[in-house]
Amino acid sequence: MAGVSVGEGDENPVPINVTPLIDIIFCLCVFFMISFKFKQIEGKFESWLPKGKGVGGVGVDSSILEEVRVAMFWDADNQRTIRQMRNRKVESDEELGTLIKEAHDDWVRMNKPETPVTIDADAKVPWNDIIIVMNLCKRNQIDKIEFALGAPPPAGGGK
Amino acid sequence: MARRKAPQIKEDLTCNLIPMVDIMFLLLLFFILGADMSQREQAELVLPTASEIKENDPFKGKDATTTVNIQHRPKSQNFDCPVNSQGGFCRETEHWLFLIRGLEFTHATIKDQLKIEADESMEPDIDPQAGVKLSARKVIIRADKAAPYGDIQKIIETCSAVSIYKIEVGAAVPPQG
Repeated sequence: MAGVSVGEGDENPVPINVTPLIDIIFCLCVFFMISFKFKQIEGKFESWLPKGKGVGGVGVDSSILEEVRVAMFWDADNQRTIRQMRNRKVESDEELGTLIKEAHDDWVRMNKPETPVTIDADAKVPWNDIIIVMNLCKRNQIDKIEFALGAPPPAGGGK
Repeated sequence: MARRKAPQIKEDLTCNLIPMVDIMFLLLLFFILGADMSQREQAELVLPTASEIKENDPFKGKDATTTVNIQHRPKSQNFDCPVNSQGGFCRETEHWLFLIRGLEFTHATIKDQLKIEADESMEPDIDPQAGVKLSARKVIIRADKAAPYGDIQKIIETCSAVSIYKIEVGAAVPPQG
């Protein structure tokens, strides 16, 4: 391709040699093609901390537990998470979603629609399992989700 | 009868490269615009998927933002975690790293960094609810799907301690179909 030029001929007396231009564009194209990758679409759950009670390390008054609590324990032997609600182990996501919705609806009927869903999880629980519970809450139009601090006591094979 | 001489045709065999240059320019433009230059901010992670998340809008949001990536320490000559290599759930706290703009932090050092970030964007007035000045900085937690929840708890607690209250947790949109 060396020596190829544009504008040769009688109508243009000043030919332009485009070979270096093409070489450079080829190199740039190869560079960007190799470094190009299709990115997964990402999103977010907004989880702003409560200004009045959480920020600054002020404790939460938990004398009256008006909440829907989902307990999660890490079963190290079986490498899986045990989810518990109302003293009952829940296996499937659909069942957990239904239980959360029913419990929240009970509070709504008692004129307390702001009652949060509290995720009380062991520190070893994989983040994916927490996101699944958050997703179930959002799917059931429950926006108020709280994270309990500290790990709950182990129960039912959890470690 | 005089024979007429056939007119000579001047052949021009140079190839016209202008369409090729045009197409290559377009390709170049596509790859330049599609190149992801935010990779230092966002580490390469396998995020958990969630169908109910709000998709990121790149044209929205003018808040100062810090992205905290939580990922397993990558395999190297000096380090190998057999549990993680085999796709299991590694629960060793020391094996998980906090990354902010490509810099590694540990449980001991993350608070100092988040304090610096928070102090850079303090709100001018005392918040009436909290009774103290809060930071306007937003923290996005991008944790690997296998990351232990304790690490995310650590970031939330640390944010709370340094007066950051705007927290978002990142997840991926599940593939369609």
